[in-house]
Amino acid sequence: MIRSLFGNGRFRLSFSLIALIVVTALVGPRLDDRNPLFAVGGRYDEPSSQIWLGTDAIGNDVFLQLMHGLGTSLYIGLVAGVVATLIGVAIGTLSGYIGGLLDEILMGFTNILITVPTIVILVLLSVALQNRSTLLLGVIIGVTSWPWTARAVRAQTSSLKTREHVDVAKLSGAGTFGVIMREILPYMMSYVVMAFVLQLSSGVLNEAGLSLLGLGPSQSISLGKMLQSALQGEALRTGAYWAILPQTILLSVIAFSLLLLQSSLDEFFNPRLRRR
Amino acid sequence: MKQIRTLTLLAAAFLGVAAAQNPPRDETLYITGHQWGPPSSFNPVGPVRAWPVNEGGGFNLIYESLFTFNLVTGELDPRLGASLEEGEDAFVVTLQEGTAFQDGEPLTSEDVVYAYELGQRQGVEYASFWDYVTAVEATDERTITFTLNQERLNLGLVRNFLTSVAILPEHIWSGLEEQEASLVQFANLEPVGSGPYTLSSANNERIILERAPDYWGEAVYGLPAPTYLVHPIFASNDAANLAFSQGQLDLSQNFIPEVWTLAEQGEPISTWMDEEPYYLPGNIPMMWINVSKPGLDNPAVRRALAYTINYPLIAETAMSSYSVPVNASLIVPGGGEDPYFDPEAIAETGWTFDPNRAVEILEGELGAQKGDDGIYVLPDGTRLGPWEVSAPYGWTDWNQALEIVASSAQAVGIDIKTNFPEQSVWQTNMQNGNFDLAMNTASGTSAAAPWPRFRDVLDIRGVPEAGQTAFWNYGRYENPEVAELLDQAAAAPPEEQGQFYAQLDEIFRTDIPVIPLMYRPLQFYTFDSAVWKNFPTAENPYAPPMHSQSGVQVFFNITSEAE
Repeated sequence: MIRSLFGNGRFRLSFSLIALIVVTALVGPRLDDRNPLFAVGGRYDEPSSQIWLGTDAIGNDVFLQLMHGLGTSLYIGLVAGVVATLIGVAIGTLSGYIGGLLDEILMGFTNILITVPTIVILVLLSVALQNRSTLLLGVIIGVTSWPWTARAVRAQTSSLKTREHVDVAKLSGAGTFGVIMREILPYMMSYVVMAFVLQLSSGVLNEAGLSLLGLGPSQSISLGKMLQSALQGEALRTGAYWAILPQTILLSVIAFSLLLLQSSLDEFFNPRLRRR
Repeated sequence: MKQIRTLTLLAAAFLGVAAAQNPPRDETLYITGHQWGPPSSFNPVGPVRAWPVNEGGGFNLIYESLFTFNLVTGELDPRLGASLEEGEDAFVVTLQEGTAFQDGEPLTSEDVVYAYELGQRQGVEYASFWDYVTAVEATDERTITFTLNQERLNLGLVRNFLTSVAILPEHIWSGLEEQEASLVQFANLEPVGSGPYTLSSANNERIILERAPDYWGEAVYGLPAPTYLVHPIFASNDAANLAFSQGQLDLSQNFIPEVWTLAEQGEPISTWMDEEPYYLPGNIPMMWINVSKPGLDNPAVRRALAYTINYPLIAETAMSSYSVPVNASLIVPGGGEDPYFDPEAIAETGWTFDPNRAVEILEGELGAQKGDDGIYVLPDGTRLGPWEVSAPYGWTDWNQALEIVASSAQAVGIDIKTNFPEQSVWQTNMQNGNFDLAMNTASGTSAAAPWPRFRDVLDIRGVPEAGQTAFWNYGRYENPEVAELLDQAAAAPPEEQGQFYAQLDEIFRTDIPVIPLMYRPLQFYTFDSAVWKNFPTAENPYAPPMHSQSGVQVFFNITSEAE
């Protein structure tokens, strides 16, 4: 199975990109233990052999910030992805499997949340919280972005629950929880994994969006905060491309490789999509 | 299909309306940098006010003051007042001929008396005026006598009040005083003043002023050139600066990093001076310390904090090299206050960026120990932080300065976090004493400087307890020695004031109720002469580089290209 997965070119490309990014995020900060929030130079010093990507508006090392910020952004994305997927799967399976009034209530709630733009809830939640740790920010992003996953999982569950093996399990005395865990979830694991990958990507991008509005994690550096600092410091207008391009490119690469990964997984799990 | 057509028509109609709201470009001056959030009040005596009443009568656009302060000459220029006679017992002001309000009612000395006496009845910003003046009387219809309080003589400050208090129409405000439970909370959305402009409209995007039809001052000052003044509301400097660099704005008070690059990019954008430092220094943005917070109530902690901050970095980056690194003094070097500036005293008892000295104070003098998280804890168990330092969101120069403060303090082991709320939130919290650390200026260069700055930082008189609005000494610092020194300085002739300022500066360096962070101009003064010509510059200084006060003359002297 793994071999056939790696036989897919798109999977190989996206997997290598993600592996490279994750390894950089894990290893990068350990190679250089200076605090990325402490200045090393002046305003927008140009890239040099000592400071590879120059400095930002307040003299911080852009390369060092990139190494540390990458990890923060991925961490927030990961927390957001896990939280959103867990909530989405829990609500989706319960709603789809039990049905009836509970289904109406849960899906009604989900639909209401879908109509409200996520960014609005995110902004309100973030403003209300005085101290936004990276973990908390991930959780906040997670609890606002599960509705689509819940809807899709519910649809899958409603179809899976009419299968014979589910009836067999029920007849042999399995409870609701047991049936969901053993007879429903394993059959849509491929879907859940793909949903998780997408949530991961939107988590990273949501962090960037929030940070851009000045609502990023307190006392730490992330790719979004680097973007905000570059905008506020007017890097673009004053021609300091090195302070705005690296994080922009990195964010795009993360989003791109995760989407590519998701689509290659889709191809793998859905044989009908496979190209001959 | 029909639906689509209807929609298109609707859209076109909306666009048409939007276009109609845009005043003609060649009759409009776009100004920026004075309003950062939705305007909620045009009450010149309220606590939180929108442009152009945010300096009381200081802008002289809707409401006017008696005189205006001229940063370049250091003198008062006439506005509603024609002349000022300064006696030992009293100031006598004579009004210009024909002064009138925008509703046609004449503006007489009775209105002036009413505006000042409001300070006796209401908690307005200039209530402390009555500490220095015992009576304001209308000698006749055009003459007002300000009797000075001989116990607390302060000529400079009284002069200041003549340039900041908005003269209100008594026939409107005396009625309001009876109707409104609290006059200072009144929003005043249809202001009637005596100035050359009226409020045309205000919303979350912009404030539009329109030239008043019958300005009383036409015979004296002529009429201002722009038919409309528009202040678009930008949430942050970078947004405003982008619009400015694209020629959408004419006059900017925003902090623009590397301002010289704008001219290189082709827009006809200039500053007061065409070389460094580009602007005239006139103020000291500083970090106010809430001296009632555990930890921050200890002067040695405050001293250690002062040593942690990287002042040269702030000057180079956050201030874009428009000024030298700040000194441990409340006096602005250069300009009118320079004679009082004492580098030797600063070197002896002041501080500079020196993290090692901060550690010495913390560990040696205070016996603090570093916790596992790298933050110092005092022997009594008080952890140095987390403390929040705040400035309004979008004030990018201040935001960057505070990022440097936070990281400088963290590097040594004091836990400071930045917080950038909306301007009105920051201001309310600061005035009510609901903060740990907050960045703000004290009084800038004025007719009375540096006296008001020492008062702002050190004087507890006239400052209500936390929870109520304070207009100075936000940290509620108290020192019994201060009052007498301030009063002596105020009463002394200029050549003898220096000794008192030296002592007050010494008290500031000992107790450190604020930490100066940078020097900045009184107002940033950058203009684009694509639409309007003849802005004043250092070579053509017919008006000072100010937007308010004597800067109002700019609007009367610029000319439109079309002419």
